[in-house]
Amino acid sequence: MDLLTVSLVVGVLLLLLLAAGLWVSLALMTAGLAAIFLMVSVPPGAVMTTTVWGAVNSWDLTALPMFIWMGEILFRSRLAEDMFAGLAPWVRRLPGRLLHANILGCAIFAAVSGSSAATTATIGRMSLPELLKRGYDERMAIGSLAGSGTLGLLIPPSIILIVYGAATEQSIARLFIAGVIPGLMLAALFIGYTVVWALANRSRMPPADPRIPYLQRLWQTRRLFPVLALVIGVIGSIYGGFASPTEAAVIGVVLSLGLSWFTGTLNRDTFVDALRNATRTSCMIILILAGAAVLTVAMGYTGIPRALAQFIVDLNLSPYALLAVLTLFFVVFGCFLDGISIVVLTASVILPMVEAAGLDVIWFGIYLVLVVEMSQITPPVGFNLFVIQGLTGHNILKVAAMSAPFFLMMLIAVVLIVLFPQLALWLPGTMMGN
Amino acid sequence: STWDMPVPYGDANFHTQNIIQFAEDVKEATDGELEITVHSSGSLYKHPEIKNAVRQGLAPIGEVLVSRLSNEDLIYEVDSIPFLASSYDDAWKLYDASKSALAEKLQEQGLQLLFSVPWPPQGVYTKKEVLSVDDLKGLKIRAYNATTERLAQLVDALPTQVEVPDLPTAFATGRVEAMITSPSTGANSKVWDFVSHYSDTQAWLPRNMVFVNKAAFDALPENQQQAVLDAAAAAEVRGWEASRRETEEKTQVLRDNGIVVTTPSAALKEGLQAIGSQMAAEWSEKAGDHGRAILEAYEN
Amino acid sequence: MMVRKALDWLYGGAERLAMAALCLIALLASAQVLGRVADFVLGLMGLPPYGFLVPSLAEIAGFLLVGASFLALAGSLRAGAQIRVTLGLSALSRRKRRVAEAFVLMAGVALSGFFFLYAVRLAADSHRFNELSYGILPVPLWMPQSVMALGIGIFTIALLQDLIAVLRGRQPSYLSGDSVEEL
Ligand code: NA
Ligand code: NA
Repeated sequence: MDLLTVSLVVGVLLLLLLAAGLWVSLALMTAGLAAIFLMVSVPPGAVMTTTVWGAVNSWDLTALPMFIWMGEILFRSRLAEDMFAGLAPWVRRLPGRLLHANILGCAIFAAVSGSSAATTATIGRMSLPELLKRGYDERMAIGSLAGSGTLGLLIPPSIILIVYGAATEQSIARLFIAGVIPGLMLAALFIGYTVVWALANRSRMPPADPRIPYLQRLWQTRRLFPVLALVIGVIGSIYGGFASPTEAAVIGVVLSLGLSWFTGTLNRDTFVDALRNATRTSCMIILILAGAAVLTVAMGYTGIPRALAQFIVDLNLSPYALLAVLTLFFVVFGCFLDGISIVVLTASVILPMVEAAGLDVIWFGIYLVLVVEMSQITPPVGFNLFVIQGLTGHNILKVAAMSAPFFLMMLIAVVLIVLFPQLALWLPGTMMGN
Repeated sequence: STWDMPVPYGDANFHTQNIIQFAEDVKEATDGELEITVHSSGSLYKHPEIKNAVRQGLAPIGEVLVSRLSNEDLIYEVDSIPFLASSYDDAWKLYDASKSALAEKLQEQGLQLLFSVPWPPQGVYTKKEVLSVDDLKGLKIRAYNATTERLAQLVDALPTQVEVPDLPTAFATGRVEAMITSPSTGANSKVWDFVSHYSDTQAWLPRNMVFVNKAAFDALPENQQQAVLDAAAAAEVRGWEASRRETEEKTQVLRDNGIVVTTPSAALKEGLQAIGSQMAAEWSEKAGDHGRAILEAYEN
Repeated sequence: MMVRKALDWLYGGAERLAMAALCLIALLASAQVLGRVADFVLGLMGLPPYGFLVPSLAEIAGFLLVGASFLALAGSLRAGAQIRVTLGLSALSRRKRRVAEAFVLMAGVALSGFFFLYAVRLAADSHRFNELSYGILPVPLWMPQSVMALGIGIFTIALLQDLIAVLRGRQPSYLSGDSVEEL
């Protein structure tokens, strides 16, 4: 069968299996097996098992269950409530009020977590119940979480920049630094959208808290300290040289247990419940990751993404047209494959073309992360959608619709960094010379 | 037919470049009858899975770093005994002496050795100058397997485990203070962002190897088998040449980017040599008659 | 009844082992971080660092993660934590929905069973060819790989139990907590 037919067959099969209600992870594996069976003469079962083993047996991935566990502990403590209570008086006059906690929380958490699924799961576990309890619009609460969760990939550390750096032999330190300004810019875009939305939809915002005198406000702020201590502890463990980014996730667990013990919410039941929930949730995400890995290896064997990328190369486009086509290509592929896989599968075809077009390889890495971040919130295969379905029970299509405005903000961010490449290049240039 | 070939390193790496040329040679020699698709930077199978995948026939051909397998058999470790063979000529002699044992070991798993190409000699990257073995004392040195751990212990340094992508952060925050790797890896990962000194100790020349699944190879028509073997022989010669060039070029890149490149002093060399002899003796003891035979063949 | 009890014990036991694996990851990594903190304190006191090392921490944590992920499969399935798109299903009538649910479970059992067979083969193969991890501690790969196979095996049993339940007209486990989705 030719590539186009196989792509269509596999794509339609995946959609059908998902629509029939097969578990997402199993649907991805089946689609991958089908692609291998149809096109390649290797035993699909052995490919699947070897791939799944390689995908799950991973040190980097251990940060995911640890962060999720940390979120579950904090959810059962008073810390999340305290944090929102401490923040509330300060954002009273800012349109959108505590919705911004989602965005800022994700941006801060992104500085310790390299993955967007972990960012979304940890912050969402704390912020969603609080926001809904306080009467915030569910659409916005979920949409802003899904959008800002993707910051985990852009703000260093970032798993995807590590993969890109290894594939292209670029300095990971430089890539990390290059991601900082675009990451903050994207957070600013999310905040801006939230402000505009809140101004336009005053009726859908909960009634404002009563005004609190300044001194009392300061006193209330003390409730922010435990969370602040946690954030400083986790970030400090990395930058103080005590922990690698993966180990820092464990520090997060240990500190959360400590805080939860200190505030009197830790007991045998909360401990076991938190651990059990974390085990189940991370099992779900990891099995989907494993399924995505099977589909990815199938794509590697069939050469479909490579062929399409080659097709784009052969078009010989001007830089802007090239970037437009590439963006479309990544968004479409991003619906079905996870972001890191797309980078890995297409890097060796696309990079020579990027260099020939005179684009900076560091800049292109940041562009790529932004584009690939979008795949986290596009159905049917979007990891932030899966995480949020796990958190809220809303199905992924509904979550995707709620996240659509934030998808648009990411598109705008892509346009901005294409028009102003210095957004990505200025910081590494100043900080590291040449 | 088409062969998928997983390789661990990126397209710009000289090993991968050499393999891409090898694939082109095979294609040309077989008039396109046998095409090898190179899947670089672990995009089909990641490094830890590659040997397994080829053994199971999931990919007919692949490449790995030989010493990654050293826990499985001592023969895979011989190229990374520190200071045993530290020039290209010596490394070639050592490869020659150990080749049949290596091929035999692979044969036991249904694999056939095609060719093997060394990395540039391994040197020590630090944030301060290293003039003698004493300067390494107490430093946190990156250890990633039993050999590097033992080496760190013998120089009274502290073996420390750091994953490759974590190296810049680990150096910047002081979790690690020294690492031993090639100028190639150093230049490719832009070490000047986090270290300042490189001591060209030429500790050992670790090799990558390219191997095929024996059954897949035997299933090829005779002329294609020959084409693969010829291209492999050419790739080996070309690869060793490329590695020598790589050493010079990448060492220069290090200099150009402000790394202080030093040739080890007589004192440092002597100290390291002593440690090397001890490690070779330890290896030979573990490896028994088999290992002794290889070392004897190498030394003559 | 006895069978169902034994199965619940199996799923629960596997889940507890998975939880223990996550705890063990946390303990090992904490030990490594504490070792660095100890060195820092020694340094403040002007003493040389001790250099405590958890050998092969990264690899062993990876293996434990495999254990945690696969042993938790059955439990997470039955708790409804494994996600799927139920939009199509909820549009169906009760009768048709039961058919669809049975179909999904059959596909699940088939895939999971297939996966189980190959996972056993992978572990057996690693054992036969003596595959070892590459770090400081040589860990035989068949050990974590058999745990993976075991987890998938238990997952297959859980799916099969739910398939039988649906064919007999009962509610599958993963829907039981959810009154809206009653069959
Ligand atoms: Na991040
Ligand atoms: Na997507």
